[in-house]
Amino acid sequence: MFGRSGNPALNADTFGNSAKSSPAGIQFKSSETMTLEGTVNKTGILLALVVLSASWTWNMFFESGNPATVMPIAIGGAIAGFIFALVTIFKKQWAGTTAPLYAIAEGLFLGAISGIFEMQYPGIVIQAVGLTLGTLASLLFLYKTGIVKPTENFRLMITSATMGIGMLYLVSMLMNMFGSGGIGFIHSNGLFGIGFSLFVVAIAALNLVLDFDFIEQGSEMGAPKYMEWFGAFSLMVTLIWLYLEMLRLLAKLRSR
Amino acid sequence: MDANTLIFGSMAVLSLAIFFYLGQFKASKKQTERDDRIDWSVRKFSIWKILLYSLVLVGGIVLVLQFL
Repeated sequence: MFGRSGNPALNADTFGNSAKSSPAGIQFKSSETMTLEGTVNKTGILLALVVLSASWTWNMFFESGNPATVMPIAIGGAIAGFIFALVTIFKKQWAGTTAPLYAIAEGLFLGAISGIFEMQYPGIVIQAVGLTLGTLASLLFLYKTGIVKPTENFRLMITSATMGIGMLYLVSMLMNMFGSGGIGFIHSNGLFGIGFSLFVVAIAALNLVLDFDFIEQGSEMGAPKYMEWFGAFSLMVTLIWLYLEMLRLLAKLRSR
Repeated sequence: MDANTLIFGSMAVLSLAIFFYLGQFKASKKQTERDDRIDWSVRKFSIWKILLYSLVLVGGIVLVLQFL
């Protein structure tokens, strides 16, 4: 869950079958092509769905006060979210259906996890939400104004770092499963643990720049309309990852 | 409403407003009209190169932890 790549959705085939004309050479009308406005609106819809489903598990947790009551739904949501994410990545044309389902499933997971963190560290969730959205707005400003300029080397570095973080989380998870306690510093609240969390937050945040560039170029190239859902989905994957890492970082800082 | 909720809640609302407003506009020419832009329709680096860099990063972290 925490180790999933920020945007595994963005690869060489992203626009491969989505240029201005269809394979039959038919030109898409402007109303049928991807736009910035459409992508932003769809991101809003996905955000609203995440908040709605998260509020359900959040309320359920605080009514019972027992993590055991929400954990099956949280785990189910995480697994379902992962499956919907994979389907969206491999079948971009289905993004209009699978991206909202992904948002609902991830919302169930986020609501439960956020509730558990909030009970341990009151006020932490609003801090993580504020910092995540603050990072989103700041990086969008830096991208739009051309202060941050993503290049191919930038893409290589961020993708490699994201994959490396994914590997570390995977190894840690496997070590945990076999009872060796995982990679200690990932979860520790010491200097290395906090340093690692800061690094992961920075990489997750820089993934947002790649998402913005992908969306910008998609709308410039006149990608098909369903790519709006796909662009919004990519942004949501990164935002959810960033939010979870913010929660972990803040929890480490608060537990010292 | 406590100060924490007020500060971070306002930050969240303001950020969302900025995102929905700014997101609708095209990026500046400084961003879009440059030669070293990412071409999302092709993959310049192979997956093996990305994997190699990832392993270097993981190895680096493990080494640093071993010696510190």
